[in-house]
Amino acid sequence: MVLLQLDPFLNELTSMFERSTEKGTVWVTLKRSSLKSKVQKNKLVTAGEAIEYRCLIRATNGKKTISTTVGPKDHQRFQASYATILKAHMTALKKRERKDKKKSAEIDKREGSSKRPKKT
Amino acid sequence: MVYITSWDEFLDRSVQLFRADPDSTRYVMKYRHCDGKLVLKVTDNRQCLKYKTDQAQEAKKMEKLNNIFFTLMARGPEVDLSEVTGKEQTDAQPIKKGRGRKQ
Repeated sequence: MVLLQLDPFLNELTSMFERSTEKGTVWVTLKRSSLKSKVQKNKLVTAGEAIEYRCLIRATNGKKTISTTVGPKDHQRFQASYATILKAHMTALKKRERKDKKKSAEIDKREGSSKRPKKT
Repeated sequence: MVYITSWDEFLDRSVQLFRADPDSTRYVMKYRHCDGKLVLKVTDNRQCLKYKTDQAQEAKKMEKLNNIFFTLMARGPEVDLSEVTGKEQTDAQPIKKGRGRKQ
């Protein structure tokens, strides 16, 4: 698994989405992690030091896995870029049918035309 | 695990699950473009919550859940979510209405 910086991770994620349009799946996992082994954690605990946690983000297409982490300082910037990528690539989801809106627009037109003659 | 059909239930239970065991709870988003399907999963290896959708409008809800989990995981489970959810409530009026009716 490759631990990347934020921007390279976002670029890789984008190309993962692009490569999986015809077939394939993309998984993105969020997990809270200290990025330390149990031994290291125990050392910190016995030393009475606080364990620092970050949010680990992993993405895979089944063949390749990439990962990155965000802390309290940079998570907002990351989540904004992440949301933009998702929006740009989740285009296969169904849009809401707008039959109702069309109907109501037609009714509005009729009402509008019927009102005009009354006024004159 | 059966899919949860109500979004509000999924959201509440996901946050509860994470707060109960922050170290072993993970949140997975699975997207399959060719089928146009999106599956969200939150699990702590004992309990598993899943939500499935194919609607584009649900992607907005997912974005909010992403923001909630980014905040919870990067800042810690004790963090006050009202900062995140407060912004959402102004954006998401339909959800607000739904809550009002229930009460």
